[in-house]
Parts: sequence; C-alpha cells; structure tokens
Amino acid sequence: MSTVAERLDEIVDDFADLDGREKLEMLLEYAAMLPPLPPGHAGLDENRVHECQSPVFIQVELRPSEDGQPGIYLQAEVAEEAPTVRGFVAVLAKAFAGRPADEVLAVNDTLLDRLGLSEVLGMLRTRGLRAIIEYVKRGVVRSLAH
Amino acid sequence: MASYANEDVLVSTEWVASVAANPEAHPNVRIVESDEDRALYTQGHVPGAVEIDWQVDLQDATWRDYIDRAAFEDLCRRKGISNDTTVVFYGDKSNWWACYAFWTFKLYGHADCRIMNGGRKKWALEGRPWSTDRVDPPQGTYTATEQDMSIRALRDEVLKHQKAGKPLVDVRSPEEYSGERLHMPDYPNEGSLRGGHIPGAISIPWPLSVNEDGTFKSAKDLEKLYVKEGKLRRRAATVAYCRIGERSSLTWFVLTYLLGFSNVKNYDGSWLEWGNAVRMPIVKGTTPDGSPTAPDAASGSV
Repeated sequence: MSTVAERLDEIVDDFADLDGREKLEMLLEYAAMLPPLPPGHAGLDENRVHECQSPVFIQVELRPSEDGQPGIYLQAEVAEEAPTVRGFVAVLAKAFAGRPADEVLAVNDTLLDRLGLSEVLGMLRTRGLRAIIEYVKRGVVRSLAH
Repeated sequence: MASYANEDVLVSTEWVASVAANPEAHPNVRIVESDEDRALYTQGHVPGAVEIDWQVDLQDATWRDYIDRAAFEDLCRRKGISNDTTVVFYGDKSNWWACYAFWTFKLYGHADCRIMNGGRKKWALEGRPWSTDRVDPPQGTYTATEQDMSIRALRDEVLKHQKAGKPLVDVRSPEEYSGERLHMPDYPNEGSLRGGHIPGAISIPWPLSVNEDGTFKSAKDLEKLYVKEGKLRRRAATVAYCRIGERSSLTWFVLTYLLGFSNVKNYDGSWLEWGNAVRMPIVKGTTPDGSPTAPDAASGSV
C-alpha cells in the first residue's frame, strides 16, 4: 500500500499539466467521489469545520485498515454549493485512506501550491483550504488521544 | 414605494434564457457569472456566460486594491465586453459576488450593468439548462474611466463620516456586529484582531434583502426595512460595510438601484481593515452606540 506522500505525489502529477479550467474539472471529478458521512453524523457540531463559510462536516476516524494496522479515514458532508471544498476534501480522503496518523500529520500546506490551486483559486480561498488540512490534522491528534 | 427605483437594472431568468437561446439576436449583451466558489461555473453555467472571478480577476494580487484601470480594460476586452455592452451579472449566494462585480464595473464607469434577479439559485429552481462549454467571446474594445470614488469609501473618509455622525450600515451577521464572533480560527486572512462595529452603525444583515429563491425582496419590503425601520434617508451620504466589502456591495446595490438612494458608498476595506487598524473607534454589543440597552435600538441613533 503506497504512503500518503506517494499518493499525493501521484495526485500532484495528475494536476500538473492541466490549465486552470482543467484543474477545476479534475477537482469536480474528485468531488463526485467524496466518501459520505454515515447516517446520523451529518450536521453534528463536533464534525463541523467552522473555518468554512458553507456547511462542511468532516469526520476523522482511526480504524484498522486492510493490513490490520490503525489507519486514518475521512468521511465528509460538504454543501453542494461548495464543489471546490468537496473536491479538495475528497483529494485528502483518497490520499489518507487507511494510512497511519504520522503520515497524515507530516502533510504540509504547500500541497495547494503543488497542486497549482493557489493561483486558480486566489489567496482567500486557498487559506480556507489550508484551514481544512489543519482541521483534519487536529482531528487526527484527537483520534489518537481516544 | 410600489416599484423599484430602477426597474430595468434587474433582468429576469426568463429574459436571460431567451438571450442564451438566441445570442445572435442580442450581440450587445454579455452574460457574466461571478461566484464564491469558482468550480460552480466549471460545473455548469448559463449557456454563453463568461466568468469573472472576484479574487483572481478583479483584485490586484499584490496591492490590497482592485485591479488598475489598464488591467480592467484588458479584462473587459478578453471577456468580450465593450463600452456599450449590456453586462448581465449573476452568481451564487443570492448574487453577492454578482453585485460585487457589478460594483467594480461601476467603479470603472461601465454604463449598462444589470443583475439577473435570483442568480444561480433561481435558474436551478426553474430547471433551466446549464452548459459546460468553454466560452471564448470575440474581443471587445474598451476604454475605462478613472475609479469613480463617489461609490467607494476609503478608511480615512469613513472615520470622518463616523465622527460626523453620518449614517453607516453594518450588513454582517448579528454575531459579527455585536463582537461576539471575533474571527474565525485558522482563517487569519479573513479575521480581525478586534470585534464589534463602527460606533453609530446600524445593523441590517444583508440576507434580509433577499427571498428564499435568491431574488430581491419587493420594493415595499425593502423600503420598510431600510427607510421605515432603519431610518436611512435617500439623500443622506450613507456608507455600507461588511467584512471584506462583498456583502455590502449587495446592500449598496439595493440602496442605490432598488431604493433610489443618491449617495451610498461601499467601504470595501470593511471590518477586515477597521478591526485590524490601530486606534479605530469600535463599540461592542447590539446597539449602534454600544450602550447596554436602547429602546430605539432597531431604529439606530444616527
């Protein structure tokens, strides 16, 4: 199973040669694959990402992965009106799925520059997505404490 | 007031659909989408509409300001807009960003700007078609004016305005107005070091201007909200502000074009500037002057 860093490198490669419009199209493809929250977990304040203006709920879970080791899994509910956020959370969900917490905690916020999203989205939106990375990392730390 | 002061400034989704279906018959109309989330345009837009993004297209990436005149002219040419083009704006979030783009176009003197009443939401509710086609309009020819500062207020001017006790409208949420919500954690670019509002500013949150379907409230309801209850006066110099000047451009639009106010400015620096700058007067609480209780809180003390 590839590491978070390897998976992110692959995703960065996928985005690399795309123009701005195509990057957004790629993000929309990811948005369609966002793993949904289990029933009853949508709308729970403990999962709400308050940094986002549109309703965004992310659950960070630590559970045994395919190889039996504890791995991080993201499930989320993101408003239809915020496809950029949906897509970005889906990118993270795919990159993190089943990997150990330390690999997720090692991800830094240069990811958005590497994906080339900073210039497509502008500074304020990029800050919003960075906040999501930080939110997920806090969730990882919390899940380890449990 | 039975009808809007400028009836023509709003166009219906139906009219835009007829333009989109037959663009050759409307060579002088350009439909422009402006959204909070750019990917919405990519996901689907009104057929033939171009996108103008508030962050990437309208704001300067280095200075905290709008793009300069030359860049604005270049933007218009690329988007197929000439000086005599009828530009119809629409977008998500009840047309926040459409109003923001509208305001920026007025800042550079564009004559004929309209808003599609209801924006993306109404278009979707009515089941109208979305297109994912790339739109590449023929180049426009464009000469802009210098910025029209009669619709834009900068910080020092707002400070003078405040000291003179002139009307200010804070259009943010009640929690932002009272100072309860200081800033959003890990959102430093949109947060402020201080919470509260500009002393004397009355609170009229922007969503009160729009209906569930994204359209503007009726002239009668808007008149009640801003003039009867808010005690704002049509001829008085009035400044609207929010957090970064986007929601207040919607209120500026409502006051200027729907209610016919003659002298409204948008303070685009808004709370992000005021709440971070040194020695700006601020009060907390739910009343304009920050007093703990005020029987005339709703009417404001301006």
